[in-house]
Amino acid sequence: MRTKLLAVAAGAALLLAAAPVRAHHAFAAEFDAAKPVKVRGSVVKWELTNPHSWIHIDVKGTDGKVVTWMIEGASPNNLYRLGLSKESLPVGTEIVVEGYQAKDGSSKAVGRNIVFADGRKFFLGLSEAEGAPK
Amino acid sequence: MRTRLSDSLIPGGLAVGGLVLVATLATAQTPAYRAPRTADGRPNLNGIWQALNTANWDLQGHAAAKGPVPSLGAVFVVPPGLGVVEGEEIPYLPAAAARKKENQANWAALDPEAKCYLPGVPRAAYLPYPFQIVQSSQNILISHQFANAVRVVNMGAPTKAPGDSWMGWSNGRWDGETLVVDVTSLDERTWFDRAGNFHSDALHVVERYTPRSADTLTYEATIEDPKVFSRPWKISMPLYRRVERDARLLEFRCVEFAEEMMYGNLRKKPGN
Amino acid sequence: MSRRSLALTAVLAAGVLVALVAQPPVAGQTSSAAAKPQAAAKPWTPPRTPDGRPDLQGIYTDNTVTPFQRPKNLGTKEFYTEQEFAELMKRARQGDIGEEGNLGAANPQEVRYDLELYGFDRSRVRFGSNRRTSLIVGPEGVVPPMLPEARKRNADRAARNKGHEFDSHENRPLSERCIILNQERIPLIPGANEGNLVQIVQGAGYVSILRETNHSTRVIPTDGRPHVPKNIRFYQGDSVGRWEGNTLVVDTTNFTNLSAFQGSGENLHLVERFTRVADDTLVYEFTAEDPTTWARPWSAEIPWTRTRGPVYEWACHEGNNMIVNILRGARVAEQNAAQKR
Repeated sequence: MRTKLLAVAAGAALLLAAAPVRAHHAFAAEFDAAKPVKVRGSVVKWELTNPHSWIHIDVKGTDGKVVTWMIEGASPNNLYRLGLSKESLPVGTEIVVEGYQAKDGSSKAVGRNIVFADGRKFFLGLSEAEGAPK
Repeated sequence: MRTRLSDSLIPGGLAVGGLVLVATLATAQTPAYRAPRTADGRPNLNGIWQALNTANWDLQGHAAAKGPVPSLGAVFVVPPGLGVVEGEEIPYLPAAAARKKENQANWAALDPEAKCYLPGVPRAAYLPYPFQIVQSSQNILISHQFANAVRVVNMGAPTKAPGDSWMGWSNGRWDGETLVVDVTSLDERTWFDRAGNFHSDALHVVERYTPRSADTLTYEATIEDPKVFSRPWKISMPLYRRVERDARLLEFRCVEFAEEMMYGNLRKKPGN
Repeated sequence: MSRRSLALTAVLAAGVLVALVAQPPVAGQTSSAAAKPQAAAKPWTPPRTPDGRPDLQGIYTDNTVTPFQRPKNLGTKEFYTEQEFAELMKRARQGDIGEEGNLGAANPQEVRYDLELYGFDRSRVRFGSNRRTSLIVGPEGVVPPMLPEARKRNADRAARNKGHEFDSHENRPLSERCIILNQERIPLIPGANEGNLVQIVQGAGYVSILRETNHSTRVIPTDGRPHVPKNIRFYQGDSVGRWEGNTLVVDTTNFTNLSAFQGSGENLHLVERFTRVADDTLVYEFTAEDPTTWARPWSAEIPWTRTRGPVYEWACHEGNNMIVNILRGARVAEQNAAQKR
């Protein structure tokens, strides 16, 4: 079953109007605000690139098959300033991601909200666990 | 007359011999060349520099060879060149040696340089394009023409990297006439050359920049990576100053030249 | 989890100094609403580099919520009073401003990320310290209207691309291709809360300016040399510099016709001025001129604040999944449309 690809959602269009020249690319061109997703998986890799980092997680489907999802996250430079480092997200960490799926229907999404398996908020949870940044 | 000649030769010979002895001692203790100083008293490395060798093709010595695009004829071939590796051998661990061969066999498709990816260290120093050193007391900025690559060498107390980066994390210090730069946290995807020489995320490079004349530097880099090599190894080469009056780095973003090979398969098909 | 620790981490995230409501005055600033803040007091003398030049070196943030163009209802008003400014800051931190501020990713409508998650903490946003109503200076405070020839030039370009926006990478904006991002373009225009720092390193005869986004670096000669010949064009033009008193003046020409800053053409002539006015403040001004686009030149002024570094590498092209996702998304949409027929 294939979900319909909808036209640009009103919410996304508002977003574009709110941040005109400044946006480095259009959210609506890459992700579909009408395709919310929620996935839970364990970290395989954290690609520290800009403007967005990408967290690769192995997600076990209901059929038992494991699919690797790519989740788009914040710029690592901002995260470094929050006191995080590449050691902050070890391989194997369980996370739950809520976001919007990529327009091409693949197993990619933007991570609107990321929490640990125990419910702690992702980046903020990490920075607290490691103490106040220097 | 002979006597007078020998009379003058012997003391002259002793004098010359004495001078040679003193000179030998002098070179053993201090470098032959002392660079002009910056206003804050450091060897002045400011300027635009470029390597003039084939290290970017292959760190090891090689004869001329066919290029990857036959239709370009002699325009794009592998030029001959002597190696820059001290001792000639690159000491790969057995599994890594196999991967080097695979890289080399398929280099045009695999070399990150072809994609205009940031070149990493030490490759950035011997790409066939100029780079510029901008030297202040607290920082030394090294700007490369290729891909607008840049790194800032921290000349204060050494700091630690929060994550890997393509141009690495550089802490520098002075050792007499030499700028020593310790580079860690290099992204594992850079290569050393177009011959498939590669490394892992454990790469550690120590560079030495030593002025050898008014318009040349000696560049040395010691390479250490226990996941790939059985021991550290070293490269060295001269770097030449670009002396033309209006020498400058020119914009060479190069991404647009790599896009077709990277995204061409995502083009809209005609008739769709 | 306390809001205060969140706020503290968010400050670092935004690369912004802690902005107190009662901001310590910048040297030279007076409390008079009418006076230009920088001009009133005795000019501050910057320290010199060892080779005798004004020392502009350091790491700065140009972060500000001050909008690029002035809200229409403010007319010719260039500066807020101290009271108006405090009010505005308060409203901005509640997310309650319209055109008077650019909240960027802290904007309540931002769909992409949960605000708190990435430290885009609205409670710490700040305006530029000069209390301007817009970055563009002068009575109008907006980009001048485009001349008819420029309008046509830009319309023609858009028309050529219409219907082909997703055909290939060549049809996508330079920013999406990681060739030139908007946040690295010159002139340097700030964002609301992006970690987009600037680092200045000076060596003999050159000033290097490193903009964090896309590791964008200019090494600008200050020896009075001319520009490169006219036939050589660069996306970011060709910059040459000179010192005028304590100000570094950078003159840039030789843009390509794709640079298109604010819709301008290849004749764009940009003059940037960098002046350190206090130990922790550098004033960045620029004047843009293009007789084929605007009837007159126009200028902007942005205060930069010294901040703690370092500037981290910002590699874009090396992990550019976005353009692949966007093009692939378009191809999938076409396939689906074709299947339906």
